[in-house]
Amino acid sequence: MTSPGISVDRVTRAPGVMAPVPSPITTSGRRRRSRGPDVPAHLRDHRTAYLMIAPMVVLLGIFVIWPLLYSFYLSTFEISFYQDSTFVGLQFYQYVLQSPRFWNSLWVGFKAALMIVPATLILSFLIASLIKTLGARLAGAMKTTVYIPTAISAVVASVVFVLMYQARGGLINGLLKPLGIGPFAFLSDVDLALPAIAVPAVWLALGIATLIMLAGLMDIPQSYYEAAELDGAGFFQRTWYVTLPLLRNVILFVFVTGCIAAIQLLDLPLVMTRGSGGPVDSTMTPNLYILSQFRDPRPFATSFSITAALLLFVILGTFTALIFRTVRSDKAVDG
Amino acid sequence: MGRGLTLRSGASVLTRGIGLVIVVAACMLPLTWMLIAGFKSKSEVVRSPFQFFPDVWITDNYTSILQDSAFVQAMAVTLLGAIIFTALSITVNSMAAYAFARLDFRGKGLWWTFCIIPLFIPAFAILLTSFVVVTNLGMLNTMAVLIVPGIASAYQMFFIRQFYLSIPLALEEAAMIDGASRWQIFVRVFLPQSLGVFVVVGVTSFLGYWNAYVWPILTIQNPDLFQIQQYLGNFRMERGTEWGMLMAGSLLSVLPLILLVLIFQRYIVNGVRISGLK
Repeated sequence: MTSPGISVDRVTRAPGVMAPVPSPITTSGRRRRSRGPDVPAHLRDHRTAYLMIAPMVVLLGIFVIWPLLYSFYLSTFEISFYQDSTFVGLQFYQYVLQSPRFWNSLWVGFKAALMIVPATLILSFLIASLIKTLGARLAGAMKTTVYIPTAISAVVASVVFVLMYQARGGLINGLLKPLGIGPFAFLSDVDLALPAIAVPAVWLALGIATLIMLAGLMDIPQSYYEAAELDGAGFFQRTWYVTLPLLRNVILFVFVTGCIAAIQLLDLPLVMTRGSGGPVDSTMTPNLYILSQFRDPRPFATSFSITAALLLFVILGTFTALIFRTVRSDKAVDG
Repeated sequence: MGRGLTLRSGASVLTRGIGLVIVVAACMLPLTWMLIAGFKSKSEVVRSPFQFFPDVWITDNYTSILQDSAFVQAMAVTLLGAIIFTALSITVNSMAAYAFARLDFRGKGLWWTFCIIPLFIPAFAILLTSFVVVTNLGMLNTMAVLIVPGIASAYQMFFIRQFYLSIPLALEEAAMIDGASRWQIFVRVFLPQSLGVFVVVGVTSFLGYWNAYVWPILTIQNPDLFQIQQYLGNFRMERGTEWGMLMAGSLLSVLPLILLVLIFQRYIVNGVRISGLK
């Protein structure tokens, strides 16, 4: 029984996706000894492969792809518990786009991103630069320290920050008092509530951003700095002309993922404002608005909120796809 | 390694020392505050003027939260769920990752696209419809609804596959010459190499399950299955003034996570290097 002379070692390159595939050592023309004499090896491989991807495909199909398609269906039908659902076309899209509260929530999400992302970028860059100058042991300890808040849930961060924000006996007001400021009722003030929610958001995001920045910094060859220094470049010149340009992709990555996360802020405002998004919708982020609509018992609200979620997805998805393309094309240039 | 250079030319030792203290303080202050508030009595925790340490350290908050059977149950149920979730998640994602990294099969490109599309779908976009789907499947108020929908992760599969692609073919050739099947190669050659990458994705899964809040509050109404974040969230809504107990419970709920991070710190910190951009 001859086994077919196919090269089973060939690593197939699947299409799509960002990172470059490490080039495999190509060995061609190797014959594989088949143990099951009746089934040719390549057919056995097919069967193995299908078995191996089957759980993944089925689960993603049921819990990701199907809900996505179902969303499109639900967004074009008016659901009622008393009669058959009726097709209403793009009516819900129109409702969502005409809803001032939806636009307000997008504006709140945008403002949240405007507060959270620059702060995260600057702080993580500074901390990563600082860690880079440390010896291995201290750097390791610092990396773990900055990573720990990343492991904390938004719920826990919410409750501890709410306590720290208390007007009576709160830590923040207590620290501000000697400076002659306050006390503030942070979470009941229309102007202060969103910044007060942005602070724990930065606290939660800082660790991972710092580690990504640090990995990027470590990839910059030390010789570049030595050369710059020989040319008489000071610390700020080295940062401006060497570090930042070479860190561009990393910064872009943190920027994009940070924006997406900030616009989608949900758990923090949900717990900190007890789900109200208040005061006066000032912390009503898009996801919180959509969730609050969804929990509205009227059947209309289900379709409305699902449609709003889809529209948000289109906005964010376009944004993500564009940036991932940019990152990939940059990689090709950088090598 | 260029250390002399940075020491000489970078910020001075004093500036860096101050910087380090600020960073550590900023990262740890909320956790420290949580710890200390847990030792304060009901009147001291919101006492004005504010005071960092309590006059009297009490342990009542910690003992009463540990005597609250709902809290202990929530911790136990969440821990169990997180462990099962993590194990299943690693199994499903690594198998698919291996198939896409090493096997050649009909329709591979198509299936690959199918499995990678979810990378571009934010969880929230399908959250509400997923709720409708699991409701229709009769999964509400079961552990399955907490575990099953999140097992397959395009991101983790992609991450593991990238790692498998970097494993030299020479390693499996020997096994292949000995006539090992693809399953045997996966189990004997790839799995032993995977510890580091499994720790990285496993910790991510564990944290993701443990810290989930919105999905449990949508799908679980049965108090026996309340998850820990749900318990803490409800506590805040219903017993908002018992700060000491809430802080004690919050602290106890993050201890397993901090322990996990400390145990696996080396893997996690290096994992960012490969998972981030490079």
